[in-house]
Amino acid sequence: MANINWRTINIDAYDPDSAFNFDLTTLTPAVQPVSTSDVQTLSGQIRQLVRGGNAEGALQGALENAPYGADEQGKSIHLSVVTEVLGQIRQAEMTPILQRLYQADGGSELCDTLMKYIYKGMGQGAPGSGAASKNITPQATGFSQAGGRNFGGEGGGQSMSVFLSWHEKLVEMVGPGSIVRVMSDRRTV
Amino acid sequence: MSQSLRPYLSCVRNTLTAALSLSNFASQASERHNVPEIEARTSPELILNPLTVSRNQEERVLIEPSVNSVRVSLKIKQADEIEHILVHKFTRFLTQRAEAFFVLRRKAVEGYDISFLITNFHTEEMLKHKLVDFIIQFMEEVDREISEMKLFLNARARFVAESFLTPFD
Amino acid sequence: MLLLDYQNVLIESLLRDRLAPDASPSSVDQIVSDFDNVTFHISTPESKSKILVSITIKCWKELVTYGAQAILDREYGPYIVQPEQGYDFSVQVDLDTMASKPQEEKDELVRRVSLLKRNAMAAPFEQAFDEFASLQDQAKNYSSETAPQGVREGGEVRAIHYREEEAIYVKASHDRVTVIFSTVFKEETDRVYGKVFLQEFVDARKRGVQNAPQVLFRHDAPMELQGQPGLRGGRGENVGYVTFVLFPRHLTPQKRDETISHIQTFRDYFHYHIKASKAYIHSRMRRRTADFLQVLRRARPEEADAGKERKTASGRTFRAQA
Repeated sequence: MANINWRTINIDAYDPDSAFNFDLTTLTPAVQPVSTSDVQTLSGQIRQLVRGGNAEGALQGALENAPYGADEQGKSIHLSVVTEVLGQIRQAEMTPILQRLYQADGGSELCDTLMKYIYKGMGQGAPGSGAASKNITPQATGFSQAGGRNFGGEGGGQSMSVFLSWHEKLVEMVGPGSIVRVMSDRRTV
Repeated sequence: MSQSLRPYLSCVRNTLTAALSLSNFASQASERHNVPEIEARTSPELILNPLTVSRNQEERVLIEPSVNSVRVSLKIKQADEIEHILVHKFTRFLTQRAEAFFVLRRKAVEGYDISFLITNFHTEEMLKHKLVDFIIQFMEEVDREISEMKLFLNARARFVAESFLTPFD
Repeated sequence: MLLLDYQNVLIESLLRDRLAPDASPSSVDQIVSDFDNVTFHISTPESKSKILVSITIKCWKELVTYGAQAILDREYGPYIVQPEQGYDFSVQVDLDTMASKPQEEKDELVRRVSLLKRNAMAAPFEQAFDEFASLQDQAKNYSSETAPQGVREGGEVRAIHYREEEAIYVKASHDRVTVIFSTVFKEETDRVYGKVFLQEFVDARKRGVQNAPQVLFRHDAPMELQGQPGLRGGRGENVGYVTFVLFPRHLTPQKRDETISHIQTFRDYFHYHIKASKAYIHSRMRRRTADFLQVLRRARPEEADAGKERKTASGRTFRAQA
């Protein structure tokens, strides 16, 4: 105990009434818990649709059934399915599909969900992405130049360009409001 | 501009435009304080979901929005040892002049090469779209500058080597 | 200013001024530094017309074992005096006796004295080149299999520890002379830049400069240096070994003086250009940073209206409140 630096302890973390311990769940709409096996079944069905040549239906199904209530593993399974579907659709088909998706009932909701997946897909492999961890000591951002950098790690560039062109087409249609909703929606994919 | 750079930059531009919706927000933790919440992290409800825009494994932008501040971190492409050292020198050069740059963070977020911290005070006294322009132009020019410096170094090395060896002829 | 001069420019200009026909002798007491921690002392201890030039070199003792004294005797014979206290070698120029000499002789003297460092450092090279010549003669009598050990392996390695952590190694063989520089990079940036430069030195022979010596570069000590004391190297350390392979074409009597002078400047030339590149890149970054600031400044709205006089409908003027 003697080697703890008392000055760096964030005492707010120990005060139940402090803003630091604000209960985020009060901001999150109630979501149904989804088990990983359910996500797996769903992704099997979506893959079948893709194989059947119905990429549009697959995308719609995947976005409508986004597993907000699943755990990290379930979410990452669903992300890989969505990534797969997005990769299957050709550049020229993107805009017509998005148009039909957007104009359908609850279409703007689906577009927001798609935007979430695009950002999540691009965030893969980035350090410290996603869950901003609650640090007892703020600013734990040591900048190390030495090591920890992978040189020449190609790959990922291909799928990133898929996300980027989807993003471009989507923003063209739904505007920046969708991006704001991705940032502010506490239901993460 | 290369084929994959344009969508990358336009994606960053759109994301930044959306993220830079900041309002004044006094600290909830200590009275009469007004701090960038993204740095202080005193209240989790003020922090929004961070977004990443990537071009590939080596190049990406992390945008961390909050109620009154946005932190933008860039990772610049470093194909080899030379580019690595040039990027390191250049970003160090810039961060040492952070005072003049207002929005530049003195230290990069871990895993990135350079970070900007834009607060509501910056967006109040500067034009938002010009701020976004600045970041985009910065991203474009850093890449170009690094590759130009590398070319220069190679050209000079070649010239120097030949000049030294020619008298032996 | 691309290549470095072989002579010490300060000594050269000082002596030239003093030896000019209309110059009047004056006293001088100067310490002059040269590359590789070599220090000169130029003074007039006895009278204004007698200029004493002394030199101190870190590796003087090594140079003497490689026959420096003989070379300096050859070059400076009549001018040599007892070494000054604290220095390794001294020559004295008497302006009164030189005054009556023809101009060519004066120029020759200026040239020689300003090459003092080069001549002192030349000893191991000259010795190695001579050894090469005799090995070459011997080798003619044998085929490659029957040659005795000494001829096939070449002579001993002559080490010159001319700087704190860096050294030159010279080794003669029957068909070549190998000169190896060990060089230390003070910081990571130097090491990376140095690598770029050395890569071009290595490749230069493939383009254009075919007759140049072969250049090799590695981080650990090359085979030739096995058994040498005080070698460093390997991955972690910022040490590099640059090998120049001088072929018989560079060792002919007509070329050898030029070759010796030129190869001596390698280490300083190399580091000089690393530093110059760093300086240039630094100034480039400074300029680019100014550009970025310009762009950022554009983000500030023009304060055109603030403080400008405005008129009301009735013609009264007032200042807009900022």
